[in-house]
Amino acid sequence: MVKRADVIVVGAGVVGAAIAALLGRRGRRVLVIEQGVPGGAVSGASLACIGTHMMDEEELPLLAWCCNVWAELNRRAPRFEYQRCGQLRFLKHEGERRSAEAWIDIERAAGLRPEMLDPEAVRRIEPVLTGPIVAATWSPDSAVVNPFLAVRTLMDAARAGAGEILSGAMATALVTRGGRIAGVETSVGRFEASIVVIAGGPWTQNLAATADVELPIVPRKAQCLATVGTDPVIRTVVGACKAEGGVDAGYTQIQQAASGQVLFNTVLEGGVTAMGSPDVLPEVDRTFVHDSVATLLYLFPGLAQLELLRSWVRYEAVTPDDRFLTGPAGPDGLFIAAGDGGTGFVRSFGMARIIADRIDGRLPPFRDDIYEVGRFAAKAAA
Amino acid sequence: MTRIETDVLVVGGGPAGLSAALAAAGAGAKVDLVDAGMQPGGQYWMQDPVGSPTTRQQAEGAAAARAAIAANVAVHSGAEVWGAFPEREILANGPNGPLAFHYRALIVASGAHDRAMPFPGWTLPGVMTPGAGQRLAKLGGVAPGRRIALAGNGPFLYAVASTLRAINATPVLLVEAGKARCGPARLISRHPARWAETMKLLAAARAIFDRRRGYVVSEALGGDRIEAVRIAPIGHDGAIDAARAETIPDIDALLIGWGFRPMIELTALLRCRHAYDRDLGGWYCSVAPETGRTSVPGVYAAGEVTGIAGAVPAQLSGELAGIAAAADLGLAVTDNANRRAQLARRLHDARAFGEAIGRLYPAPETLTSLVRNDTVVCRCEEVTKGDITAALSGGTKGVAGAKLWTRAGMGRCQGRICGFAVAEIAAAATATSPEAAGFNPPRIPLRPVPLDVVLAATGGDK
Repeated sequence: MVKRADVIVVGAGVVGAAIAALLGRRGRRVLVIEQGVPGGAVSGASLACIGTHMMDEEELPLLAWCCNVWAELNRRAPRFEYQRCGQLRFLKHEGERRSAEAWIDIERAAGLRPEMLDPEAVRRIEPVLTGPIVAATWSPDSAVVNPFLAVRTLMDAARAGAGEILSGAMATALVTRGGRIAGVETSVGRFEASIVVIAGGPWTQNLAATADVELPIVPRKAQCLATVGTDPVIRTVVGACKAEGGVDAGYTQIQQAASGQVLFNTVLEGGVTAMGSPDVLPEVDRTFVHDSVATLLYLFPGLAQLELLRSWVRYEAVTPDDRFLTGPAGPDGLFIAAGDGGTGFVRSFGMARIIADRIDGRLPPFRDDIYEVGRFAAKAAA
Repeated sequence: MTRIETDVLVVGGGPAGLSAALAAAGAGAKVDLVDAGMQPGGQYWMQDPVGSPTTRQQAEGAAAARAAIAANVAVHSGAEVWGAFPEREILANGPNGPLAFHYRALIVASGAHDRAMPFPGWTLPGVMTPGAGQRLAKLGGVAPGRRIALAGNGPFLYAVASTLRAINATPVLLVEAGKARCGPARLISRHPARWAETMKLLAAARAIFDRRRGYVVSEALGGDRIEAVRIAPIGHDGAIDAARAETIPDIDALLIGWGFRPMIELTALLRCRHAYDRDLGGWYCSVAPETGRTSVPGVYAAGEVTGIAGAVPAQLSGELAGIAAAADLGLAVTDNANRRAQLARRLHDARAFGEAIGRLYPAPETLTSLVRNDTVVCRCEEVTKGDITAALSGGTKGVAGAKLWTRAGMGRCQGRICGFAVAEIAAAATATSPEAAGFNPPRIPLRPVPLDVVLAATGGDK
């Protein structure tokens, strides 16, 4: 195991893996330090939707670029169950229509192809969605990937470029020398590098604090359920329409994995949780299980006999504006890429590009000022 | 859905659970017992679903169940526990619909299941665990085959031989990894209470025509089902010597296993502290032996879930846990201190005996060398050993890492069958210990449950 690397990436989730893969391709010797196993925390516990629909107007160019990179990676290394299945966002009430139409206008103006469908048209795309909805938006370009295999594919790419992964090693402190980053102290010893990137999801702020870098990242609880595998029934990614108040108003995503398992993900209303929560993964709560199953059976009443197999909880890293904190921060040589807000998969390649370009002193092909790590501190000072 | 408020909820209706329920009820607690079997008794005291008890063991179990019911224990049979939530709630799926128990104290006596290690041919029809063969014989008097091979390690193989002998299906081949030693005889000689049982078991083993010690089954051969086995000797260094393997023909059933694993799903879900000891079945729930208290207040554990040691300590630990749970609820127990001290002494001796047996018959640490790269390890998801080792050499780690990158343990059984093998394979591949490889943490639901049942069970007063 190297004790020295060109770049140390802390965190082997999809963001860290994408950064390691890109830096490796650019000839850097990368060491990835992971406290658990690659993709074993936020990434592996997510439903990995790749799309632009109802995300963030300012980020649309980056999101569209990211979607293309995912499709391109799938052409080169089709090993992560990439499926461009499209995405439906259902409307339960007429009151949601205005907001949904506004999203469609924004996205169409950006050259994307979402549209509004009536229930009959929805059922042509998703025949088993027989529950009472008033309409749904349809984004045909959205895709899903297998989160575990996507991280594995990226890790393989990083290793092909002289990168190494160290699983089960907890980064405990940043090491600085003369105001510059010099390495990382871990549970298995010190590793040296002149560049350190923290892509540690909801753990990022703890490590950054050891170099006096304060980051406004808080953990937010999200819960998932999975059924046993069954014949293909659900074809698309089905979600609730993004409501006023963003994800704080609650968020639902339902899809069927290549394994045949029906997966559903819910972020609870006002789900920001106490600091330290990510270290004590609790069980799903009863209300969540009930409401999730109720939503699933409301939309897909034909699945009532399908068996539930597993549940899990993850903690997303949330920032005040739901955008990543990505770029240089604090001492020279320190970079941050965290703040997934529950949609780290689609954004990961964009964040990797910003980090790699900033390390190389280049400008990324899209604006990155909206991800600037110090943006909230600057606002507070002004 | 049926809601049940109770003082003491006992999960598991085997020797530990029935004893716990009887003791708690005897102390004046309102006791409910939930058990997955169609009749209480568990694996050890398994009752014939139609006939009346035919063996002494079955009669003991029937008496224990009668005693519990006479003491007003409410027995809920055929109900699988699948969920636990804070506020001391346990959810089960019973024959008449969902059950929700609200308890003041919980005693987990969930027992154990067979410990399996894959080998080439282990998925052929006719290959099963000794426990599965035992159930066939006990439940319907059905012999698993006409020319049966019994293989693995430990005295449970003799118990299975004895059950099969009783239905005139004495195995033709016994393959034991342990070599002939005087250790077991020395241990037994110090425990006169075990002599009669030992003689019966040994007689059943001796009735087997072909007995091999220091051998393992290295392969099951056959087309549509098992037809023969390959057996290989274990060398002095513990390595399995495949070059000296021989074929034993005309076998139509192979019962093979490496003892038992404690069923820790519920105690793990409840975040009780667990410890690892390979000779006690691997991961088990840690308890204070004289009370059965786990690290979680209000949760007690008894029997095999606290480490494999057999039915005698299971009964004693159940009784102690039942008394302690009732006493902790403030219920009076007559002659409490004396009785508890006496039981604790007996438990100490019985556990010492059971644990000594476990250490005399360890599962060889070289078993994973039998697993070939193309041997399926996780049957639910059809994951081979090669898949697992490739993932581990790609930078991930342990049972958790192997699961994410290969789906081993992600299927219907959630790693109950392959968990032992995946941990041992991961340990061997990454030069670490099976303990360090960890285990697949159980989550809700502990068993697959239909969505409409989940909806009904989790609704109501939220």
